Amino acid sequence: MTALEAVSVYLPPARISIESLAGPLGLTGMQVKLFRRFHGLSEVGRDPDVSLSGLLLKAAAGLDALRGQEHRVRYVLWARTMPVVAPYPVNPLHEVCGALGLDHALAFTVTHQSCAGGLLAIDIAGRLLAADALAADGPAADGPAADGPAAGPAGPPDQAGPLALILAGEKAFTRDAEVFADTTVFGEGASACLVSAFGARDRLLAYACNVRGEFDSATGENDARLQREYRPSLAEVMLRALDEAGLTLNDIRVVLPHNVNVVTWQRMCLLLKFPLDRVVLDNIPASGHVFCADVFANYATACERGLLRPGDRYLAAAVGAGGGATFAAMVFEH
Amino acid sequence: MAAQDTGLDAEFRRQVVSAMTAVLARLLDRAEPVTEDMRLMEELGLSSTFGLELLLELEDQLMILIDVELMDQDQMRTVGDLATFVAGHSRPS
Repeated sequence: MTALEAVSVYLPPARISIESLAGPLGLTGMQVKLFRRFHGLSEVGRDPDVSLSGLLLKAAAGLDALRGQEHRVRYVLWARTMPVVAPYPVNPLHEVCGALGLDHALAFTVTHQSCAGGLLAIDIAGRLLAADALAADGPAADGPAADGPAAGPAGPPDQAGPLALILAGEKAFTRDAEVFADTTVFGEGASACLVSAFGARDRLLAYACNVRGEFDSATGENDARLQREYRPSLAEVMLRALDEAGLTLNDIRVVLPHNVNVVTWQRMCLLLKFPLDRVVLDNIPASGHVFCADVFANYATACERGLLRPGDRYLAAAVGAGGGATFAAMVFEH
Repeated sequence: MAAQDTGLDAEFRRQVVSAMTAVLARLLDRAEPVTEDMRLMEELGLSSTFGLELLLELEDQLMILIDVELMDQDQMRTVGDLATFVAGHSRPS
């Protein structure tokens, strides 16, 4: 069963206030007030002296579980919101693989689901590792077919088995990468997460995803509809993931949200009848929406705050909006 | 729902309605008057973003803080519904 083996997060210590972004981004006074008062966004991380690959490496540097285990890493996935982030032939992902001693790994970027890409990367990593194991064991191997994130032979965790490294995090390098409509402000930061196919900790129980191509922000045609359907659509995948895991919201210890803004999650909680204080919103005021790294950053915060005990089930949820909208949710067992 | 049925301060609710209809007409660039019975989304086409901007302007004008975290958008069908919520879920700033 796909499992998160270790998570490391880097959020730059340098912060910039929302007010100081107003001039460069052309935000009105009303927009700034709206961000601060209702969206709960006060400041975001900016690390002008650190490159994109440097940002990812800072996250990977905290991943102690990777030291000495580089040979086990078979895949490196970079979950990304922005489709293009560097001019050809610069490839930050390959730079990172080289610096980490992971040149042997198959490295690729996961895009096109915007900020829901982090969850997609976990799903892909788990599937690839499970399929490799199934292929190595042959068709007579124990366990179900590799038809989902929960696929793979049951049994004790393989301490020496193959791993995937999932990276997330981006630079706020253009206006589009700094602010999204009147909804959110992006913050720089990065995460690194080791995933195994059959690990024992933070096991993935279910994944639900709904890709809505009609919500393409480039045309703006369906923006009003997206606003109306945003919360019900996110709720639908959260409840579907729970259903697939054989659980209900009552079984969930905490929700790890995407950091779009606070008011969205206040309203999600009203819709779901889930207590707001069990949604890990701690990182929104000081870090903003850290692209695909939100869920990993919020996982780390939940662990630091002691919110997760062994056996607790938790729900990760994200929406990627831009070139279409993706609603995604994952259920894990800590 | 009439203000007198809810125990709300009727005068304060009238102030909320007055400010709200004026702000809505300006935000939506609407020449015709906005009235209490108008439906926010279907009739006025109020988006979530404009809705928040409306609440922010009301907070400024009426010098109040609105408990937005308690606001169930699905229950706010008309201008009057929203005014009743604001009048009942706000405090002086």
